Amino acid sequence: MKNIMSIAMMRAAVCVLGGFAVATSLAGDSISEKAVSEKATKLHFSSIIVDTHDDTTQLLLDPKFDMGVRQSSGSIDIPRMREGGLGAIFLSIWIPSKVTGPNAVQKALDQIDAVREQVRRHPKDLMLATSADQVRQAHKDGKIAALMGVEGGHMIASDLGVLRTYAALGVRYMTLTHSGNDEWADSSTDKAVHNGLTDFGKDVVREMNRLGVIVDISHVSDKTFYDALEVSKAPLFASHSSCRAICDAPRNMTDQMMKDLAAKGGIVQINYHVGFLSQEFRNAEKADPKINEAIAQEVTKRCGSDANEGCMLIEGDRVTREYVAKGVLPRVDYMKIIEHIDHAVKVAGIDHVGLGSDFDGANMPYGMEDATMLPKITEALLNKGYSEGDVKKILGENTLRLMTDVERASHELNLEK
Amino acid sequence: MRRFRTCLWFCFVVLVSSSLITPASGDEIAERAKKLHFSSIVLDTHDDTTQRFFSTDFDIAKRNADGSIDIPRMREGGMNAIFFSIWIDGRIMGPPAVQKALDQIDAVHENVRRNSKDMAFCRTADDVRRAHAQGKIAALMGVEGGHMIGNDIRIVRIFSDLGVRYMTLSHFYNDEWADSSTDKPAHNGLTDYGKEIVREMNRQGIMVDISHVSDKTFYDALEISKAPLIASHSSCRALCNHVRDMSDDMIKALAAKGGVIQINYEMSFIDQPYKDASDKLSGGVVAMFDQLKKECGDNEACVGKKMAEMQKQAVAEGKLPRVSWERIIDHIDHAVKLVGADHVGLGSDFDGASMPEGMEDASKLPKITEALMRKGYSDGDIRKILGGNLLRVMEQNEKVSREMQAQ
Repeated sequence: MKNIMSIAMMRAAVCVLGGFAVATSLAGDSISEKAVSEKATKLHFSSIIVDTHDDTTQLLLDPKFDMGVRQSSGSIDIPRMREGGLGAIFLSIWIPSKVTGPNAVQKALDQIDAVREQVRRHPKDLMLATSADQVRQAHKDGKIAALMGVEGGHMIASDLGVLRTYAALGVRYMTLTHSGNDEWADSSTDKAVHNGLTDFGKDVVREMNRLGVIVDISHVSDKTFYDALEVSKAPLFASHSSCRAICDAPRNMTDQMMKDLAAKGGIVQINYHVGFLSQEFRNAEKADPKINEAIAQEVTKRCGSDANEGCMLIEGDRVTREYVAKGVLPRVDYMKIIEHIDHAVKVAGIDHVGLGSDFDGANMPYGMEDATMLPKITEALLNKGYSEGDVKKILGENTLRLMTDVERASHELNLEK
Repeated sequence: MRRFRTCLWFCFVVLVSSSLITPASGDEIAERAKKLHFSSIVLDTHDDTTQRFFSTDFDIAKRNADGSIDIPRMREGGMNAIFFSIWIDGRIMGPPAVQKALDQIDAVHENVRRNSKDMAFCRTADDVRRAHAQGKIAALMGVEGGHMIGNDIRIVRIFSDLGVRYMTLSHFYNDEWADSSTDKPAHNGLTDYGKEIVREMNRQGIMVDISHVSDKTFYDALEISKAPLIASHSSCRALCNHVRDMSDDMIKALAAKGGVIQINYEMSFIDQPYKDASDKLSGGVVAMFDQLKKECGDNEACVGKKMAEMQKQAVAEGKLPRVSWERIIDHIDHAVKLVGADHVGLGSDFDGASMPEGMEDASKLPKITEALMRKGYSDGDIRKILGGNLLRVMEQNEKVSREMQAQ
């Protein structure tokens, strides 16, 4: 999610809820075991669960942060991924849109290095994966597959050589913009200046196809989405977007967009951010802009004026939860995620929906504070009458199929050249 | 067929007569040298051809009328392993330096990809041997100047992940953490951060290259490094007193730690009269580059080309002396006499320097093998100089890297 106002919200939960989560797991019974049926547990832990968007990378930039240790805040670390059965995670490479040019490139490389270093530090738990087959291999070996996505085209600094460099380093998707337009694509949260994708932007999409880098249309303007959909020779995905029909945020997708995405084999990966899930929450935020300003101020106070993004994301979630507790903002339950999944399945089809949490980068709903809660999604879908096969598709098989399709397109394009 | 038989008979006679009666005749040595050369891994650790990848009129797959390196001429000269230099002007620093370095790394990968029938990208000594066995040219990369990491140790790892296998600690100018041999000392060798970078290079298996660095930086790096170092393109100061070359003491200290000096063919590094005349004419190598940069702007390939043209003209006008390729052999021989055949190799500086007469391009390389053979070098020693030594140092660096990563 990540704008100063609402991004910061993720960790707030932990102050309040974290104590509860830690207490329960120390007692030996994880939340998931308590709340989830045996059938759901069995299905969940035999599936490959893929999450296509996690902002944990911001925390990895701090050399003291160790993914191998259970953290008292945030949503992602190895112990909690294990507990929640999260088997494959796309760690987001992200810097704010306003940082451009060579500075953006070097900062992106630092984050890529941070991910790769974390994988080198935990060879028994993590494996760097760059293909669907490698994700399956990691699963077989009992390891968590770590993948990378670059969240924002500004990080290539209008340089296809840099795009190829990211691909060579293992990046497997790129979001065409973040919250501001970049040099060649319009964002959904900025004033349109390119009428979608520029000619160079179209070249970027073609080169991504050739490299086997998934074209991610989360964050982009509707026109950019349709331009990318037309140009791309491989299926696209929205790595972390939800349904506009339920919550009218420009970051979400309309029913028509989801249908068009699905018609080309693509997937919408549902985002858990409360401001994208709940119209009520969004209305409350919009009704009083002072709330977000106050949250932003509080976050700055806690993190310092030259704060790192990791702190701001975590504190933002924490402060937002404090506002929910005070009754200033509405409380959003994790079942809202299920509502979005179900809507997307009805509109786009069972083969075209997946999970893109935005953990460690947005405000999580109650009951989905961290990766340990994921089995509840499986349970809820089974309760709704989804077949085991369909649940597996949503949990990860759809994403793996898309990755395979993108790899095939890349292979074919390379043969042509 | 008849001709073939005649030849066979002739060769037999020559062989018998030469080996039994007289010392080896010229033709027999030439023949043996050719055989040895074309069955060896001939590895050059420094080529600036990368700059040419950015010119639309350059195609490495075609024989070019200018420059020294392309696939046809590498094939003709039996050069089957090449370190493409990643280089930008030492005054460009910070993030722009990083991005420009990435562009060059990408250009190398793209050129190898487009010519995958002839070239294979290699990261290890084994990769090089495998490429050789498949009849392909092994393509490797070295970053020529520590300024390209943007004063950010994480970029060392990024370069390593992208396949870079050596890094020269500085270029013509000091960088943020190491003094150059052609700049005023600012760090008294390596700073603490510079030492950390050397250790990280060891951990990544990136060979530490001490060409271009100040003598103090060299000794600091030698002390810190856990793996043998290389001078990717430097010659002998005892024969040509240039700061870019190594003193006998330095060569000995490098060898004592298992390293290799890869002899540079640049005329002003191998020939004292040429260097003296050139200094008088242009005020030294850095001043000359500066002048050419004014004329060429950012087009580094243009700088190289103009430099070659300028020097050719100065030689023709008698302003600069002629230098024969045999000076290269003098430098190899001097280094071998000093530290033995295990510590000397080839780092031409093709496409980035002024080549002596007779070594204009990669097609001339068999002459080196023949000259060494005529000097009485054993086949084994010649193979080491042609590439075996560098592969050994690579392997040692790989081993140190594995050990450090296991810790």
